[in-house]
Amino acid sequence: MKPENLLEIRGLKKYFDAGRPTLFSRQNKYVHAVDGVSLTLRRSEVIALVGESGCGKSTLSLLLMGLEEPTAGNILFEGRDITHLKDHERKELRRKIQMVFQDPYESLNPTQTIEEIVNEPLQVHGIGHSKAERDERVKKAMEDAGLKPAEVYLHRFPHELSGGQRQRVVIAAALVLEPEILLADEPVSMLDVSIRAEIINLLAELRITRQIAVIFITHDLGSVGFFADRVAVMYLGRIVEIGTMLEVLEKTQHPYTKALISVIPVPNPRLRRERIILQGETPNPIDVPSGCRFHPRCPVALATCKESDPPFISQSKTHSTACLLLVK
Amino acid sequence: MESHFVQNQWKDRWLKFWAVFKKSRIGIVGLVMLAVIILLAVFAPLIAPYDSSSTESVTIDDIYNPPSATHWFGTDDAGQDVFSNFVFGARISLTVGFFAAFISVFIGGLLGLVAGFFGGRWENFLMRFTDIMLVIPDLPLMVVIVALTKPSLMNIIFVIGLLGWTTTARVVRSQTLAVKSRKFVLRARAVGAGNGHIISRHILPLVMPILVVQAVLVVSLAILNESALSFLGLGDPTALSWGQMLNYAFGRGAMSVGAWWALVVPGLGIVWVVLGLTLLGQGLEQVLNPRLETHHLMPHKPTVEDKAAGHGTGSLLEVRNLSIHYINEGKPPARAVENISFTLNKGELIGLVGESGCGKTTLMLALLRLLPSAGQIVGGKVFFNGADLTAMNDEALNKIRWKEISIVFQGAMNALNPVRTVGDQIAEAILKHEPSYPREKLGARVTELLDLVGIAADHKEHFPHQYSGGMRQRAMIAMALACNPQVIIADEPTTALDVMIQAQILELLDKLREKLGLAIIFVTHDLGVVAEICDRVLVMYGGVTAEYAEVDTIYNEAKHPYTQELLKAFPDLTKPKKKLASIPGYPPRLEDLPAGCRFAPRCPVAFDRCRSEQPSLHELGKSHFASCHLLEESK
Repeated sequence: MKPENLLEIRGLKKYFDAGRPTLFSRQNKYVHAVDGVSLTLRRSEVIALVGESGCGKSTLSLLLMGLEEPTAGNILFEGRDITHLKDHERKELRRKIQMVFQDPYESLNPTQTIEEIVNEPLQVHGIGHSKAERDERVKKAMEDAGLKPAEVYLHRFPHELSGGQRQRVVIAAALVLEPEILLADEPVSMLDVSIRAEIINLLAELRITRQIAVIFITHDLGSVGFFADRVAVMYLGRIVEIGTMLEVLEKTQHPYTKALISVIPVPNPRLRRERIILQGETPNPIDVPSGCRFHPRCPVALATCKESDPPFISQSKTHSTACLLLVK
Repeated sequence: MESHFVQNQWKDRWLKFWAVFKKSRIGIVGLVMLAVIILLAVFAPLIAPYDSSSTESVTIDDIYNPPSATHWFGTDDAGQDVFSNFVFGARISLTVGFFAAFISVFIGGLLGLVAGFFGGRWENFLMRFTDIMLVIPDLPLMVVIVALTKPSLMNIIFVIGLLGWTTTARVVRSQTLAVKSRKFVLRARAVGAGNGHIISRHILPLVMPILVVQAVLVVSLAILNESALSFLGLGDPTALSWGQMLNYAFGRGAMSVGAWWALVVPGLGIVWVVLGLTLLGQGLEQVLNPRLETHHLMPHKPTVEDKAAGHGTGSLLEVRNLSIHYINEGKPPARAVENISFTLNKGELIGLVGESGCGKTTLMLALLRLLPSAGQIVGGKVFFNGADLTAMNDEALNKIRWKEISIVFQGAMNALNPVRTVGDQIAEAILKHEPSYPREKLGARVTELLDLVGIAADHKEHFPHQYSGGMRQRAMIAMALACNPQVIIADEPTTALDVMIQAQILELLDKLREKLGLAIIFVTHDLGVVAEICDRVLVMYGGVTAEYAEVDTIYNEAKHPYTQELLKAFPDLTKPKKKLASIPGYPPRLEDLPAGCRFAPRCPVAFDRCRSEQPSLHELGKSHFASCHLLEESK
């Protein structure tokens, strides 16, 4: 029996050395990109990781892929600690965790044909005994990614495809390894609205047909609403609110989440809501504000928010929030 | 079967390359020049009238004979036929050139690749070594080394090859660095690929084109170096290269007896080959380096006089039946924009919505005639305050560009100069358009503009990299406001930004419109964004108007199937578990538009007529237009 938690992240931290601010400073400064994140992912679950740029969500995805070494904390895959692995173990693991990148224009090599691109992971891992077997897998991955019939696309080059088709190629190249987790880093933010729905529907389908768990990283809560099981909202390297999708959307607790939800564009002027537009931008993660990290931009901050770091408070079995307003 | 396919693929790539290269006149000339010499060298024994190695006795009468019927290029100091020596000399010069260049390119390519790919200490060491090698003058060093070793052809090839790799190393390193940072390399790593795989599959194919161009130039350099060494008397005395011919002629009194042919012929040979190689290199670069494409502005070309059009209707900006085609030689014109009309008044905000490739950016650039030269206005008018912008000369139009109508481009990251402060760049924008602006007021004006877009004055002296994405976009807006324009065209100003920053920018534009009475055209692919601030919305599809109406009508009484489908594709947070409706298929390509309605292939309610006949724009109510056959029948 496999453990229920496919992936478990415990107190993960990643600090980047930012050097000394001046020649005479004693200590180096650090960018607190990811600063103590804990999260679990169950089999075929979809988690949306939401936050503005600079909140550490992309660094988190690189840590999970083993493309960056964490400063502290652990990552467990099926109960096994995968935080630090030897090269061949890491390579073996890569088959299980695959990634879809934001920009489908940049993430395909312009000199390769679609067949070469989708076949490449099989070659890298030496999968398949014969060419026929590999061809079959390539074809299946492409058709599962919605490139039907595969023959039409095999010998084309990336520049001959539209943005949506290219993103499908990226997804096919991930699927061909039959991963258990798909890390999708802003997979639709560069695409036209009419194409976005198709890619999101595709990901939603894959979790059912292939039992794939998805970590969907985005700045736009609106784009994942319908298919995420749970939502984790990140701010300055930490999760500030986590819960099931309905809990986070309808029983929103954290003032930051409330603001994020309020600015999602509503395609109807009659439904215009009061928008909470936070001024300024996410502060520089080198000099993290004291107390609650959100207090300088928080519209409802108390005096104590400057001093004490809010603990996680549970609203239900699945819903918890880090905000001092909730401390009774 | 597989190898057959691979072969075909290479053939395809080669044919594609050739199709483009064919068009480069410089490249073809270079190739032909080089081919002539290579053919001479290869078929030397057949072409040369005399065998240079023959030991026939030479008399004094044979020395330095001028060109004649028996000796086309005369004879040299040894009484040998200059043309024959020239033909055989080509063999030696080219051999040295190609082999030495092979060594140089191999070493330079390898070092550049290693330095660029692995970085860190390796890079430091290798690049400093390269710098030192670059500083040492090549020729004197070669002279010393060749003088110390036996002057055999082999030694010369090695010396030239071993000293000529520095530029190649630098070029390859910088290209490797550029390719390495691209996302597809990161993706390959995420897949689990090792360094060897990444280098051979991802780095090399993209470094190769530059290496080829570099190799061609290195060959010409090697030939020049060999000639120089031989001319200095350091060549292999048994191998009569062009340089050696020069050396002998020069050293043995050709100048004093006036035997110019003995010097000019090999000299011209060197010039011919080097010129040919340089031209070929330039031709290859044009094909292989897409960054060299040129961009010309739309030429001034008043459109066909349309008598009926007359004057505008008193709106601030009126676009009437504007059509723009891209005209490419030998291809049917791409109908990028057809029959678009809209009006804009002071303080109004109109949303122009469409997918990428629907012609919305073309339309906006055409308003100020800023399109590349292939894009031409083939019909329609643009009136600004009653004056027709399509018929104006460039001088008159320049008074309107930026001063009356300015543009906020998408991608603020690339539109700012990284090495100048933002304040400087705004000041420059003011001066460029109003050269007589009083200098003493300039600083205050820049502060005022930054304040207008919500940037504190102390950020004036900062550089763009110190700005966040949202602040850069604000700076771009400040620049667009520099000359107090009446109209601002905002081309996808929020597309790459986070939702929160997007909301800030929208709020800012809305405020500016109120405060300054600005009229704004907001170009976007996102219907959701424009719902918040627009007065009217024009939905474009495949270059034509799908629907044009008041904002409330568009979102609540949309009549065109495309608008309806687009609205359904939006996630509705009030019904979160609902599956998203998507529009199957992809927008049409402008070169390949469907015969009837351009939306028909993706339309859920299309019928036969839609596939053969293009629908016209129907007026459905007060300022509500849509182009769909269904709407005609319902009337």
